[in-house]
Amino acid sequence: MEELYTHVNTINELLARYGVKFGIYKNNVFKEQLFPFDPIPRVITESEFDYLEKGLIQRVTALNCFLSDIYGDKKIVRDGVIPEEFIFSSSGFLAQCDGVKPPLNIYSHISGIDLVQSKDKTWYVLEDNLRVPSGASYPMIARELCRRTSPKTFHDNRIEDNRNYAKMLKETMNHVNTGGINVILTPGRYNAAFFEHSYLAEQTGSVLATGNNLFVENNNVYYKGYDGKKQRVGAVYRRISDEYLDPMVFEEQSVIGVPHLFSAYRAGNVALINAPGNGIADDKGIYYFVPKMIKYYLGQDSILNNAPTYLPFYEADMKYVLDNFDNLVIKDVAEAGGYGVVFGNSLTAEKKADFIELIKREPRRFIAQEVIDFIDIDILDFDERKPRKADLRAFVLTGSDVRVWKSGLTRFSRNPDSFIVNSSQGGGFKDTWVLSR
Amino acid sequence: MEQLHFRFTTRLELDSEVKNHYFTLKCIPKSNVRQRIESCNITITPDADIFYNTDSFGNITVSGSIIPPHSSFEFTLVGSAATGLDVFEELEDDEIKCAYYKYHTGYTRPGKYLEEYFKSLDLTQCKSTYDKVTAIMHAINRDLVYEKKITDISTSAEQAMSIGKGVCQDYAHIMLALCRMSGIAVRYTVGIMKGEGESHAWVEALCKNRWYGFDPTNNLLVDGNYIKISSGRDYSDCIINKGQFIGNASQHTIVAASVTD
Repeated sequence: MEELYTHVNTINELLARYGVKFGIYKNNVFKEQLFPFDPIPRVITESEFDYLEKGLIQRVTALNCFLSDIYGDKKIVRDGVIPEEFIFSSSGFLAQCDGVKPPLNIYSHISGIDLVQSKDKTWYVLEDNLRVPSGASYPMIARELCRRTSPKTFHDNRIEDNRNYAKMLKETMNHVNTGGINVILTPGRYNAAFFEHSYLAEQTGSVLATGNNLFVENNNVYYKGYDGKKQRVGAVYRRISDEYLDPMVFEEQSVIGVPHLFSAYRAGNVALINAPGNGIADDKGIYYFVPKMIKYYLGQDSILNNAPTYLPFYEADMKYVLDNFDNLVIKDVAEAGGYGVVFGNSLTAEKKADFIELIKREPRRFIAQEVIDFIDIDILDFDERKPRKADLRAFVLTGSDVRVWKSGLTRFSRNPDSFIVNSSQGGGFKDTWVLSR
Repeated sequence: MEQLHFRFTTRLELDSEVKNHYFTLKCIPKSNVRQRIESCNITITPDADIFYNTDSFGNITVSGSIIPPHSSFEFTLVGSAATGLDVFEELEDDEIKCAYYKYHTGYTRPGKYLEEYFKSLDLTQCKSTYDKVTAIMHAINRDLVYEKKITDISTSAEQAMSIGKGVCQDYAHIMLALCRMSGIAVRYTVGIMKGEGESHAWVEALCKNRWYGFDPTNNLLVDGNYIKISSGRDYSDCIINKGQFIGNASQHTIVAASVTD
């Protein structure tokens, strides 16, 4: 394994050459930065993965049931399990999707579930990402390069091969394809994850398209490439968010979407991966209810733990939040990507008072969580090992069955004092090894 | 019961040619217990390939495209309807299924002007939801000034409230906001009416599992003089002509409606 460490510079150079980059907007300027790779892997044992796998399959199954219910009968609201304001006042609930059944009733084809492991080795789910979770390409390509630079490491360690992600993804697309080609719809070159879009298209044999390449005729979707040939499209793995998907239904000013795409989807003539409207299931306020969903839809206790979470919406929880403010992390449910996260103990007295006022005024907008002291994983800083906080994004694919990819994206924070690992906040990533014995 | 003939035209004039024009029209009235649409023909020029669908709010959509260059776009609806068959629409689903009509959207979310105005309303005498909605309609009609060209299609209820003026869209949005602040499920409704030369907007409120129409601009309960075209959470769900095209043209829209016996 040490051999791998000596090659870290080679691997990072190769990643740079292959264009493995992450784009961020800061002060309205688009800047691409490399997503630094650290050679020390996260290692998950076989038995630990078995546990995670069972829990993740259960969780994603319940989340799919929830989405189907919310855009259908709404039984979980009628039965009083989730208060209706948590659904209908959420920006994640898209009324435009109400009553629309996606092909084979699958909503979250690709789910990115973010987990951390606390110091006592308990795993906690921090967040579900069911809209457009990104990041699978980084460990795919890093593994490929690691195998190339240090084949011995992979000969000596029994590590599950993770190069099957493309095959899993392709099967997921084919499963819901309504007849036609698979397309990956990208907003284009200036998107944070453009590298991933092009890489996944290449790996899955899908066509990489921008909105200009797709059009709808008679409620069917077609692709027209540079050769002018017109091909029917059966599945669109769209990497643009719901509001820009179709200017006829969502944001009218969108120029990256495809007019009438939603109409074709509504008619069952194309699969959209993931389904529009999924934001209601990964809403931070809804997160609290996921264990209740598992009980409600599957009749089971949740295998994976949620981080202990409080909803100021409930009076008892509000009291707890005010009494324990300094020990909690408060999250704005409308924000993502590590934005809108406030640690109670980090605020000045004045800011704290203002923030508490805001929570009291808009209790529905916030959740509070216990800070989980999650484990450090070493990173290599030149020749020195240094501990850094790291999380794990597990990828769960739903096709003919629900499967967990035997790898994942381990992100670490650059800053030794930070718990925020999002790539948009300038962290790096590691390979994730699942051992096969 | 009324027997009405209607004609509705929208003409978009462009000062230079555009192409790849995609549109979705929500302009076709639907039969329900209040109105029976006996005939309805739509003509679109230039010629377009069209297909029909129904949106999540139950509105009929006409979608299509005109790919070749063109400098105008027009659609005309001609038909007849029997109206005023009933005063309300029975709720098709249960209340939970349309509970989202109780919650604010970007157009109806209140700020300090709506909050203040809401506080000034005395609704304690109102025994039923229906009474409350009626009282809100009367109040808005009394306190707002109808004035054109002060607001536009993007004006929110809060903005219109702050100036106290507007057109039917603003009256309707303000009424939606105030009803939602009272926890009442309400929807924005678009249609045409006798004596009105353009499209009109009003409000439908859910009172004891029945949708009743209220017209705050005219301070009237919706009756056989109205033909409903569409409804939704706010204006954005009921845009009559939503479109996108390639071209750098400034546009001018002419709308003409007539509803006669």
